[in-house]
Amino acid sequence: MKMSVRVLALAIAAALTLFAAACGSSDNGGGGGGSSKAEKAAGGEIKAGKKGGTLTYLAASDVDYLDTGQTYYTFGYMVAFATNRTLYSFKPNDSVHPVPDLATGPPEVSADNKTITVHIRKGVKYAPPVNREVTTKDIKYAFERSFSKEVPSGYAGAWFSSIVGTPDKPNSGDIKPISGIETPDDQTIVFKLKDASAPLVTQALVMPITVPVPEEYASKWDKSTPSKFDQYQSFTGPYMVKNDPTTGKVTGRVPGKSIAIVRNPNWDPKTDFRPAYLDAVNIEEGNDDLATASRRALNGQSTVCCDAGSPPAQVLKQALARQSDQVEFVPSGGTRYIAFDTKVKPFDDINIRKAIIAASNRDALRLTRGGKVLGDIATGWIPPGIPGFEEAGGLKQNVDLDFLAHPEGDPAIAKKYMLAAKQDDPSLPIDANGKWTGGEKLLTIATNADPGKKTAEVFQGQMEQLGFKLNFRIVPQDTLYTKFCGVPKADVAICPNVGWFKDFSDPQSMLDATFNGKNILQQGNVNWPQLDVPAINDAMKAASTVPVGAERNQAWAKINHMIAEQAPAIPWIWDKTASVGSANVNQVVNGYDTAHDLSFTSIK
Amino acid sequence: MIPFIIRRLLWMVVLLLVISFLTYIIFYTLPAADPAALRAGRQPSPELLASIRQTLGLDDPWYIQYFKYLKRLVLHFDFGYSYQNNISVKQQIFDRLPVSATLAFGAAVVWLLIGIPVGIISAIRRGTWMDRVAMGGALVAISAPVYWLGLVSLYLFSKDLGKFPIFEGQGAYPSTGSIFTNPQEVIPALIMPWFVLAASFAAVYARFLRGNLLEVMSEDYIRTARSKGLRERRVVFKHGVRSAITPIVTILGLDLGILLTQAILTETVFNIPGIGRLAFDAIQKSDLPTVQGTVLVGAFAIIFLNLLVDIVYAFLDPRVRY
Repeated sequence: MKMSVRVLALAIAAALTLFAAACGSSDNGGGGGGSSKAEKAAGGEIKAGKKGGTLTYLAASDVDYLDTGQTYYTFGYMVAFATNRTLYSFKPNDSVHPVPDLATGPPEVSADNKTITVHIRKGVKYAPPVNREVTTKDIKYAFERSFSKEVPSGYAGAWFSSIVGTPDKPNSGDIKPISGIETPDDQTIVFKLKDASAPLVTQALVMPITVPVPEEYASKWDKSTPSKFDQYQSFTGPYMVKNDPTTGKVTGRVPGKSIAIVRNPNWDPKTDFRPAYLDAVNIEEGNDDLATASRRALNGQSTVCCDAGSPPAQVLKQALARQSDQVEFVPSGGTRYIAFDTKVKPFDDINIRKAIIAASNRDALRLTRGGKVLGDIATGWIPPGIPGFEEAGGLKQNVDLDFLAHPEGDPAIAKKYMLAAKQDDPSLPIDANGKWTGGEKLLTIATNADPGKKTAEVFQGQMEQLGFKLNFRIVPQDTLYTKFCGVPKADVAICPNVGWFKDFSDPQSMLDATFNGKNILQQGNVNWPQLDVPAINDAMKAASTVPVGAERNQAWAKINHMIAEQAPAIPWIWDKTASVGSANVNQVVNGYDTAHDLSFTSIK
Repeated sequence: MIPFIIRRLLWMVVLLLVISFLTYIIFYTLPAADPAALRAGRQPSPELLASIRQTLGLDDPWYIQYFKYLKRLVLHFDFGYSYQNNISVKQQIFDRLPVSATLAFGAAVVWLLIGIPVGIISAIRRGTWMDRVAMGGALVAISAPVYWLGLVSLYLFSKDLGKFPIFEGQGAYPSTGSIFTNPQEVIPALIMPWFVLAASFAAVYARFLRGNLLEVMSEDYIRTARSKGLRERRVVFKHGVRSAITPIVTILGLDLGILLTQAILTETVFNIPGIGRLAFDAIQKSDLPTVQGTVLVGAFAIIFLNLLVDIVYAFLDPRVRY
């Protein structure tokens, strides 16, 4: 097994080095090395298009929900943002600076950071059968239903629980009003907060929870547990999922098979910044085989692919060599890392953690996902495209820490820290060469699907070189999170396949949930290292109230460094998503949700 | 015959109960994902998790959950709702059953049309070049994994990817309509999948029939038939094949039942939205109600078709009496 892991690692490294060399350096959108202090806007290129045409989208799976109160995954977002309008959203080429969508201008924040006021534009109408104009009361209802048992939102509690009157647990029975959301008139909505958290909440107003929901239409579906509104969704965007114009029943979605997206007859282009070139989009689901699906898109007509990630390396290599105009890259807005549970021996010793990070070859790990073309080596926790990235050091975050300074790994530094650990605690089984000699196997839970499985296997080989033995188990990705890595009592020593991707563009959203000791949960935990350092927790509390801007970015960049000093994990890639499409498609990928922006994509 | 059928139907109920119980236990024992945590999103509060557990009925002990499931199933023929998208499992299964049935029965017709003639010719021309070519081809067809054959077929013959674009390829199966209501789209989309799915079955059936027929053709009653002066064609078809083919009816029934829910690979390669794919996706997402529903429908198909085979046996083989 040892041999096979090493051979595999070498084979992958060799094959993918060739691939990376062939692909060349196309680190677009990474934001590194910018001349300005301001964060570089990350996203896909906006291309002018012409009106008309039907696009075919090849997807592996179905959307999670059409209901904007429930959807929480990239593919669901892609459909939600084409068919609905949020208070704020992002142009495809800038995932850093939100622009007003339903709103008429930036949010007005009170001096004490406890009140947010937003005005919305007139003239935005719902698609049939609702047909009427949107008011702020609809946005208030959208928030209220997302805090109910009938509409279990995956993030309402995480980002909006600071609104006065939000319940500790989801409301049951009728949907209850939230006292901290006021609508003095049909165009104004006011959010009153329990604490000075306006900087974070204003950034989160891009999320689909802010899509208006007409109470008089939706409430009858929201009486069911769970709500049936998903099958009767109202629409405000340039597009809508085909429905029965009388009852509102969604007829264009056959779960697991297809989604038919058509134009919203009530959409007024004068109220929107989206060009909405296409006449219709047909989403074909079930295209699990990414190689076939991406080839169909590349060789076909009016087709794009794929919701399940970048095409396989071989297909991408060919496409970049022969059809490079048909490939689009955007930063994924997240960091993949290998987490050590700092509560499990021997990872309770900071020197052991530093030694392993120093020894790890992060370039080899990156090759398992496709090499340089598919991402930069991560050196911290604020990825490209997130405010604070430049302040944290851009692509060279935390390189002042010797254990993070060498992406290919440095055995001498690893030895230094192993011997330091031995000096601090002579009972540790470490020999004079800095090798671990203990026989106990460390529980490691990896995903059973590539490329994550390959990453974990390569890391296993690296750990064995330091003398560690792993109890290496592979499980489906969902099981990994919900039964093992997300459950502290499972005592998983190493989680080699975790990652955290943005909900919206704010550094707090990248660091608070994942490294604040106050956020360690007994289930669904995402502070996988169980890092609980009072100085870091306090710094996060202070930084959370700093207004959006350079000062906030600096504060979180500093926290980013404090986290790295604790060596809780190995950050190894800030990856990019590659999308492919037919030669006659002007693909536009939105840097916010890293999916095709159907309102900007067009047929040539 | 009637008491036999009633007895078998009662056994069918018992078997389905056992199977549903085993599926439940396996799901509980294996480290599958937590459906409540999956639905709760990232960083869920304990209150949200508890609320979702209550909504999904996961806060009850497993035996209570199982009892409630059985009660709904028996009294209302209700398989519950998918954990993933709140859609009725019954609706999803019945939506996809015709697709899988069309794939399985169409493939069965293809493999019988190929396998039986090849088996007969191989047997009656034993040792000739025809026999060698047929059995060599059968060996290749058995050895070729269905997903490989499917992908090769796509890259060779599909209209969008193929070197020799002849047939509709992956994703051609229409999202609406069936072979009866939309034959002009369904049949072209299924030609390649039928042949790919039928390839290994046709090979197995040809080899099986060849072996049986060779054995039967050396029986005394065949010699008697020939000595009576019957024509060779009559001896082979009336006396030989009829006897040799009987066991094939047995495996055909079982194969059809299995294929109705387990043509996962073919459905995946050609993106055909059938029951196999539904089951596969549900297993991946720890969607117990859908897994349970597809397993029960699959088990029912196998048991029911097995019963049908036993009844047909009585007509095919005069020695069989119930």
